[in-house]
Amino acid sequence: MTAKPKVAITWLGACGGCDEAIVDLNEALLDVAAAIEIVFWPVALDFKYDNVRAFKDSEIALSIITGCVRNSEHAEVAELLRRKSGIVLAFGACACFGGTSGLANFISKKEIFDYVYKDAPTVVNPNGVFPQTVTELDGKTLTLPEFYEHVYALNQVIPVDYYLPGCPPPPDLIATAVKAVLTGDLPPRGSTLAPRRALCDTCPRNKKKPLRLEITKINRIHQIESDPDFCFLEQGILCMGSATRGGCGETCVRNNIPCRGCFGPVPGVEDAGGRYLSAIASILKTPETEDLRDLTATVMDPAGTFYRFGQAVSILGREKLAKP
Amino acid sequence: MENYSPKVVCFSCRFGWGYLHEDPNLSRLPGMVSVTCSGKIETRHVLSAFKRGADGVLILACPEGHCHFQDGNFKTEAKIFMLRKVLSGFGIEGDRLRMVMAVDPAGGLMSQQVEELKKDLSALGPAAAPAEAAVAQA
Amino acid sequence: MARQITINPITRLEGHGKIEIFLDDQGGVEDAYWQVVELRGFEKFCLGRPAEEMPRIVPNICGVCPSAHHMASVKALDDLYSAPPTRTARLIRELEYNAFYIEDHYIHFFFLAAPDFVMGPEAQPAHRNILGVIGKLGTEIGAKVIDIRKRNRDIIRLVFGKAPHPEGGLPGGVPRGITEEERETIIKTADDSVAFAMFALELFKDLVLKNEKYVDLIKSPSFSLATSYMSLVGPDNQMALYDGKVRVVDSDGKQTALFAPTDYVDHIGEWVEPWTYIKLTHLRNPGWHGFTEGPGSAIYRVGPLARLNVADRIATPLAEKERQEFFTVLGKKPVHATLANHWARLITALSAAEQNQRISREPDLTSKDIRNMKLSLKKVGVGCVEAPRGTLFHHYETDDQGLLTRVNLIVATQHNAAPICMSVKKAAQGFIKAKKPREGLLNVVEMAFRAYDPCLACATHHLPGGMPLTLVLRDRQGELVEVIRRPEEQ
Repeated sequence: MTAKPKVAITWLGACGGCDEAIVDLNEALLDVAAAIEIVFWPVALDFKYDNVRAFKDSEIALSIITGCVRNSEHAEVAELLRRKSGIVLAFGACACFGGTSGLANFISKKEIFDYVYKDAPTVVNPNGVFPQTVTELDGKTLTLPEFYEHVYALNQVIPVDYYLPGCPPPPDLIATAVKAVLTGDLPPRGSTLAPRRALCDTCPRNKKKPLRLEITKINRIHQIESDPDFCFLEQGILCMGSATRGGCGETCVRNNIPCRGCFGPVPGVEDAGGRYLSAIASILKTPETEDLRDLTATVMDPAGTFYRFGQAVSILGREKLAKP
Repeated sequence: MENYSPKVVCFSCRFGWGYLHEDPNLSRLPGMVSVTCSGKIETRHVLSAFKRGADGVLILACPEGHCHFQDGNFKTEAKIFMLRKVLSGFGIEGDRLRMVMAVDPAGGLMSQQVEELKKDLSALGPAAAPAEAAVAQA
Repeated sequence: MARQITINPITRLEGHGKIEIFLDDQGGVEDAYWQVVELRGFEKFCLGRPAEEMPRIVPNICGVCPSAHHMASVKALDDLYSAPPTRTARLIRELEYNAFYIEDHYIHFFFLAAPDFVMGPEAQPAHRNILGVIGKLGTEIGAKVIDIRKRNRDIIRLVFGKAPHPEGGLPGGVPRGITEEERETIIKTADDSVAFAMFALELFKDLVLKNEKYVDLIKSPSFSLATSYMSLVGPDNQMALYDGKVRVVDSDGKQTALFAPTDYVDHIGEWVEPWTYIKLTHLRNPGWHGFTEGPGSAIYRVGPLARLNVADRIATPLAEKERQEFFTVLGKKPVHATLANHWARLITALSAAEQNQRISREPDLTSKDIRNMKLSLKKVGVGCVEAPRGTLFHHYETDDQGLLTRVNLIVATQHNAAPICMSVKKAAQGFIKAKKPREGLLNVVEMAFRAYDPCLACATHHLPGGMPLTLVLRDRQGELVEVIRRPEEQ
């Protein structure tokens, strides 16, 4: 009997939703678990970092890594798993693009610390204490990982072999990806294990989309009762479906909520936020050109909206982790 | 900040602002990019300019109703309005991105436009491309 | 020479953390620290975002209890826009919220907690997990657990699109309604969930309450902590999940506060320690006096046990009966036994299932009146729900355009942070007596935090980091004696 392939699953700067998505394989998870040996999965199994350290280099067939890299412990764990693994899969929007946590790159670490530990209305901190990487207490030493200035996507810290986007990735793509790894039936390294087409192409509302889209008034999602059958853009509601990779199952648009781009851009787009911005700009229409400025001004928070999931991999936001 | 000379990237429409490559004086200047229509300028071009260290970006487009391709200038203008806000999200002042809509087929006023932007940029100082700044700290 | 034990990462919980245990010269535990090692900063990086986008962003705080953050956020928008939800919208929200409670409490009990009781606290680490549990209880029970979780998550999907990241809550309403056809499925799920809840409670009683060793463990002083308790209550102080007032009782069970969630700032403070990223929530009256228990302490707990200690009754009959049995077996209110959280969790899940039996049969559930469009921005909104792990507050302030100018979040695991530190220390002191403790004993220490079902992803909404747990043993001079990690025994 040949040994089952070893698989590690871990979270870095993550919410755990990706782990829940794996559990959402339900019965299929038991079949998968029978075909592999899960050697690390902190949310569910009692293995510790030392178990991982004990493996030979590349002994783990596949590491599924979720979450962004926000602190020194994330970077250490990512590097450890990279060394011990044959294949690293960046799993979910945070590992692939930094995710919503990447919005923190619009501000500094100091601003975050000042608010959280000093200025929030509930803080009681008479001595102005901030968490420290090293604390001495009666001769005892306590350590914390270093909180970085910046939020990184996984491939800005270690080489990544494959990408599975989504917030979280949907069950069918997870199952397909795991199967592909187990059977060795994989596309070239660096590929994204999701369809290449844009969400618009599979959107159920696409059939009723007018030939020429025009936005004359921007509507925010709470301001109107949007029609569940018609294109959001036609209703003046910002939707990122035109430049976002499909494969998510159209869960949001089917739920009458516009796309925010958690699958990342379609292949070939370098800066997803810029592409969304261009797509919207090209369909804005005003009766008089001087009204254009006013119309664009009603696009609220373009930075936080267009770069909702992709700030950390955007042209201006991206950065490689500088190794000390 | 003595002797500070702001770096400017200037995109200009050939139809409204002349064929840059035919003018040896202008085409030799760094940061001058001639395009078929201002509508051809993509957001990533502007973003990359700032990423690579530009302190300001100037877009010279045709005035309203004069676009050779109907409304390329209008679409770019819409982009620029929103891009300014996006840039300020990244810590780059929106005023560093300027769009001038006029006609100057001989391109004679191009250097003047660049100089005017440079003058205004001098008051702002160097642009803080956020990623670069963070690297410098680390 | 004292020694130091590190457990890293701590496992079977949501997020990243570690435990440091300092031993004295005799091998006894001098001190122990439970550290949260990450931070993300949602409160700060959400500023400038349009408020209505918050229900789409905050589920990223925690993918295990995203429905709680989503709902607290939506309720904050109701308040911000002075738009109470329509009756139908409220029914749909409560339906989803109860379904979430059911699946969340069972994932904790069966996936995270049961391994300690079914396999035993000192079973081999490799078998001490859900797969071991299914192996031991039989695949039939395993299939039942998976089925009930799946079908309740299907309700979440039906209402808000995705279970690990619900989308679409709007001020005053929900994005889509429910059809009569969908109602049929929902009724079936609710009925089966009640049956499953009764089954789960029987299983718990068979496995745990009939085993003297476990009962002793639950009642052990090392797993007891005399604190105040906080949770939401409805009319007549009945247990409330979706909406209510905040009630606090002290370690003797006396009510010390009852307030509207909007007044939370007057009652709750957050203390900062340099050795952990989590802020330690406490009662402003009497104010922070360190990690102390008993009368006069500012430390309080939230979560399943707190809910039973705070509420006078449960509105649904089956769960009320279980509640009474709970106090008959464990003694009068308040029960301070931390491990009793597991039992209380199963009682809450039963109550949520019973509530969904009622809601799924409400005629108004399928009405088309799902949005209150009379929005009026008042620029401040507070949303509060009783999350599975405890009371959750979202507080937003905006400018005239509804763009956020201030965000403050108080999450369940924060309330429990100081108690968890204390519980871990007590458990360590109670069980670790040797210089080289067995791995199984370290797991017993982990059981102390696991009972709280701590969600460190939530707890660290302030900034991102990670939460596996390490156990470090250090000597009196602070010298690292040993970092004990589970694999040693394999």
